[in-house]
Amino acid sequence: MANSAALTIDCAGRPTRAINEEIRRAADEGVPEVELLNPQARHNLGVSVLKPIHIVYRGHVGSFTAGLCDGITAEVHGTCGWGVADNLMSGEVVVHGNAATSAAPSIRGGRVVVRGDAGPRSGMILKKGELIVGGNTGYMSGFMMQNGRMIVCGDADTGLGDSMYQGVIFLGGTAKEMGSGLEEVDAENGELDEVAALLDRFEIKPPPRFRKLQSDRKLWHFNKHDFAAWKDVL
Amino acid sequence: MSETTSTPPPAHAGDSSVEVLDDAAPAPNGAYPRPDSFSGVWPPEVIEEIQEKASLGRYQIRGQATKRRGLPSFDDLVFVPAGLSRMPLEGYREKCDTRVVIGEGNCENPLVLERPIMIAGMSFGALSVHAKRALGTAASRCGISTCTGEGGMHHEERRYSDKLVMQYLPSRYGMNPYDLKKADMIEIGAGQGAKPGTGGVLLGLKMSDEVAEMRDLPEGVDQRSPCRHPDWMGADDLYMKLEEIREVTEYKVPISIKVGAARIANDVRIAAKAGVDAIVFDGMEGGTAASPTIQLDHAGIPTVAAIAEASEALAEMGKKDSMRLIVGGGIRNGADAAKCIALGADVVYLGTAPIIAMGCHKPIYLEDYARLGTSPYECQHCHTGLCPVGITTQLPKLMERLDVDEAADSVTNYLNALTMEIQLFARACGKNRVSDLDPNDLRALTYDVSLMTGVDMVGLGGRTPWWKKF
Repeated sequence: MANSAALTIDCAGRPTRAINEEIRRAADEGVPEVELLNPQARHNLGVSVLKPIHIVYRGHVGSFTAGLCDGITAEVHGTCGWGVADNLMSGEVVVHGNAATSAAPSIRGGRVVVRGDAGPRSGMILKKGELIVGGNTGYMSGFMMQNGRMIVCGDADTGLGDSMYQGVIFLGGTAKEMGSGLEEVDAENGELDEVAALLDRFEIKPPPRFRKLQSDRKLWHFNKHDFAAWKDVL
Repeated sequence: MSETTSTPPPAHAGDSSVEVLDDAAPAPNGAYPRPDSFSGVWPPEVIEEIQEKASLGRYQIRGQATKRRGLPSFDDLVFVPAGLSRMPLEGYREKCDTRVVIGEGNCENPLVLERPIMIAGMSFGALSVHAKRALGTAASRCGISTCTGEGGMHHEERRYSDKLVMQYLPSRYGMNPYDLKKADMIEIGAGQGAKPGTGGVLLGLKMSDEVAEMRDLPEGVDQRSPCRHPDWMGADDLYMKLEEIREVTEYKVPISIKVGAARIANDVRIAAKAGVDAIVFDGMEGGTAASPTIQLDHAGIPTVAAIAEASEALAEMGKKDSMRLIVGGGIRNGADAAKCIALGADVVYLGTAPIIAMGCHKPIYLEDYARLGTSPYECQHCHTGLCPVGITTQLPKLMERLDVDEAADSVTNYLNALTMEIQLFARACGKNRVSDLDPNDLRALTYDVSLMTGVDMVGLGGRTPWWKKF
């Protein structure tokens, strides 16, 4: 029977392993929400939670927050360390501050929202699902993306979407340098409206316009006549 | 001096009497002899290599391993078995323990290997599912582990492998918390001996619909994997990543890290500090399904040179007893394996040898070898996906050529033979545990291997030459 009472865990002075076990146990028991107090930039909080639960992080968190989870929702009221929501299978993780390097690495489903800025290598080898960055994103973001969608409302540093196989990137600002193998295409009918509605849901102000970027597929197979593109990537 | 008036004048560019062929007819294979008069700098294989690159417009790619000759080798070491100073064990009666445990005292379910052997990571994608099944079956019969490799955990492999190591690699193909929980050990991949410092390659013909689906890639694409993890870089990050994986696996199974043998001592120090249960060094003779040829031949260090350095660094870190050293790369027989162990390895990693045991290079379907421009014993065309014997392919018609039961039997027999050979050397050296083999059981035949390994040269071990007394 579902447990309707929310759980509060004060992380101060408690081992990470014990905190995670308590979150997983709460999810197993059908507790709808767990609130983590004093995370104190601790790494690996909320890792491998595989049953639905809503996790609220009250403060800054360290690396791999909500890593390798499935079916959870989470909100971080602070900044994140490296690799937030690493390998998320499904669910939704919202960061109300900034995220450091490698936000949403290799996620296979779900949605990760960074309302502030994201560091380098955000959305690297994104497989499915979606990464939304309300601000700017660092170099090599979307590197080798395999599928899914990345929405960057601000600017991107060098190498955006370099060598991506599939998927799309919506870029609101400018990229210091586009990665190899990208092409700009027109958005499909209604696509930008859907993006705007999504941003509205997370109270992120949309930029005046978006550019839609995707793989030109020239790097799918080596072609000696495209050496200029390949020399950087093969 | 007499004049040589009878010598005709040399031909020159405007000489219309010089005869040349109108068409360049390709020479049949093997039409040219290879006499000693070929250049040492530009021998035929170098000329062929340059002309192939001139045609391809990229580096060459091929499978299996380096073809370099003359690397320092385990053959440069010999055992010095018991004589009068030490008693040997009865080869056919007395027990000689082969068991190795990884992660003891550091996790709930340590990995128990009945023999000091593991099947190295080879992906579903690089290998057919039939080959994976055969490896799993053979490994299970022998009480040892097999390993998923890069492409994720195939359900058939899990089903047939009693002990399965799951690789956690930069590409994260097929990665998910559920399969991590099903694994008996996690191996964080940070490099491999065949191509240290680069990512994997899987060419389009092997990217079948099932392989592509498991890897979240388009079918038929030429896959290039990232060479470094997307979310950790250095020593401190590794510690955090390790904690994350321990959280996923609930501290139940051991975790190892695999690197190509290169900057060994520092890699050991970092791995030891991070707290892994084992480190895998893959020497430059290590195998691959596809790798740039130039990388195969010119990167990393030979396996025999890696072990003593790794072992010494483990001792320096105070981890010689708690952290296992797993070594792979070109290990062919029980002598190589026993020498690895004597030099300090706990376990040997076998990839290419079990594949050969199940029929790689077998002289059958010769016309298919010829179609690939190769022949048995020199094939190394795993990268093409057109494996004539059905091991490194995803084409159903070729896959059918591998009889899974027969392949499993062959690999089992080979592993049994190899185990007996390892025990043979241990018993001959008077050891009732294979793990008791040590560098004093070896002598080096060459100065360079003696220097690399710290093993005494033959004929000089532990004594002062007689003439120094006079």
